[in-house]
Amino acid sequence: MSSPSPIPPPNDRRSSRASSNASQPGPGSSSNATSSLDVASEPSDLLVVGGPPSSPSPLALRASNSPSSKRRKSRVEKIPPDLHLLEYVSPCDSNLVCLICHAPFGKPVRLVCDHYFCRDCLDHAWEAQQDGHKTCPTCRNRVDVDREPLSVPRILENMLDELVVKCPNSRLGCEWSDQRANVQDHVMLYCEYTLVECGSYDCRFPVSQKDFHKGCLHYTVNCEHCHTSLMRRDLEEHQTTACPNKSTSCPHCATEVLRVELKAHIKDVCARAIVPCPGAIVGCTFVAERTEVWLHERSCPMATMAPHFREQQTRLERNEAKLEPLARRVVILEDGLSNITNMLYPANDNASSFPVTNPLDPNNADAFPPAPLVPTPDFRLPPASLHDSLREEVSRIATALTEVEGRASMMIINDGQRFKDELLHTNANINNMRVQLHWLMSTTLQQRTANSASNSTSGRAGSGATASTSAPSGSTTQGAARNRSGAAGPGVTGHSPFRRLSDSTRQDTKL
Amino acid sequence: MSTGAKKRIMREYNECTADTPAGMKINFDEQNMTEWEILLDGPDQSIYAGGHFKLKMTFPTEYPFKPPVVSFKTKIYHPNVSNDDKGSMCLGMLRADEWKPPNKVVAVLRLIQALLIEPNADDAIEPSIANEYKENRKEFEKNAKDWVKRYAK
Repeated sequence: MSSPSPIPPPNDRRSSRASSNASQPGPGSSSNATSSLDVASEPSDLLVVGGPPSSPSPLALRASNSPSSKRRKSRVEKIPPDLHLLEYVSPCDSNLVCLICHAPFGKPVRLVCDHYFCRDCLDHAWEAQQDGHKTCPTCRNRVDVDREPLSVPRILENMLDELVVKCPNSRLGCEWSDQRANVQDHVMLYCEYTLVECGSYDCRFPVSQKDFHKGCLHYTVNCEHCHTSLMRRDLEEHQTTACPNKSTSCPHCATEVLRVELKAHIKDVCARAIVPCPGAIVGCTFVAERTEVWLHERSCPMATMAPHFREQQTRLERNEAKLEPLARRVVILEDGLSNITNMLYPANDNASSFPVTNPLDPNNADAFPPAPLVPTPDFRLPPASLHDSLREEVSRIATALTEVEGRASMMIINDGQRFKDELLHTNANINNMRVQLHWLMSTTLQQRTANSASNSTSGRAGSGATASTSAPSGSTTQGAARNRSGAAGPGVTGHSPFRRLSDSTRQDTKL
Repeated sequence: MSTGAKKRIMREYNECTADTPAGMKINFDEQNMTEWEILLDGPDQSIYAGGHFKLKMTFPTEYPFKPPVVSFKTKIYHPNVSNDDKGSMCLGMLRADEWKPPNKVVAVLRLIQALLIEPNADDAIEPSIANEYKENRKEFEKNAKDWVKRYAK
């Protein structure tokens, strides 16, 4: 819990100063002087670093009763301590505790129902009650706003006043503690740690009352030991407690070491520091000053074993660290393998019945889908088993391929044979036809030669016997008709038995 | 949150550590003192025996004038605990209109423990579980034990 500083933040002060300025106009020329001074100091609200701002000149100090010094007094206003936030030296009687804040009553009040609360807590509780009715936080009795809250018995206030509290500035170093009745006087008048505003004109930082006379300490300095820049106010504390380059004495062996090295000194060197036996990692419980531990180490079996254990430990850790990426890689490889397997047997049905379809059948053209793209796994160092299984897969694919190839070539041979047979048939038929054609041709030729021979004889006879003009024309028509009958007669009627014969022969050859 | 409220929470915590109900453990974070994590073992005489429940108690900004909010982080089959991811518990003194500033956190913790031993079916947040509790106690106990096994081991 942070106890708030009894001084309000700078802004409040500035406004309060302004109001006090307005309410206390100084008489005559001195007031003019103040206002001009005010104007001069106003722009330097910013913190000036690099050197101490001029402290009040002797002249200014001498003019202690001038209005300007009155104004300064008003700036140094102290805030009375908040009774709720006081720290009590001993736990107090539970009857003196407010049920809302669970701390001893600040300013106790009583309600008609005989319940007691701090005045502030009661106000807060009533603030939180939305419906506007004020009720007792404990028993919910309606409160009569005109009469309540009532005052408390004197004895209760006395008991509260007798409680011993610490100074609210105890965190800043004040060691005062006394009865609560006196705390206000202490903080307002005597406590050296109460924060007041810095004595310098243009500085708004708070300073402990005890440092007030030192002038303004709110400028930046460098620590001469560690070259950190910090405020002058904090320098002493820094050098006694924090500065790393300031020598300090080891709390165990009183050797002077630099503060920055103190930790290493205690950890590794200091002869009187309390350290455990080095065998502690394997269970030795010996803990003593370092010199004693050195003696103990010679006899402690666990201490002698400790380095080996430590080495084993580091080796184990190293191996475990190596194992992790390997395990990850195995997972990757297994994923890759399962991908390949899925690609090979999409539905994962019986692996032996590799789909065999007629590759020449156009209806089955899509029986072999295009091979899916498989992300190539990281095959940098395939373990032997994975490698073997992959090889097995490949050989299985190879046998399947040869099988398909054999079937395909068999089919081609079969079909070729059939085609060859058919070709032979066709050839035979063609030959047959040719024979028939030949025969027909030869008969036609025979008839034509026979015709021409008869024609020439009849022509000779006609020209010789009748010598009419119509005779040759009649004979030519007769000859043509004969010719026609000679061409058609033997082709259609006369040779039909032959053809049938030839048909039967062809059937014979076919069979 | 006011300094007074923080002081009060701090005091409540000290009181709780001095007098923690059996089977409870409070994890308190100095940085965020308005949220307490409470580890609660199922009381031996209850059907929740053997379970370990995690609760969160959140103090509102208006504390102590508003009640702290209690929620079960571990699922529990209970008529007074909402069966959702909030696991909120709202009854008795934890209700905003029932809460009084003088109530102590220790009393809240004891109330939670008492409710695990004896659920309050008349003031239930889960009516179906409350009905089961009233009419089919065997089934209720079976479910509750089942949930303890499933979520609170």
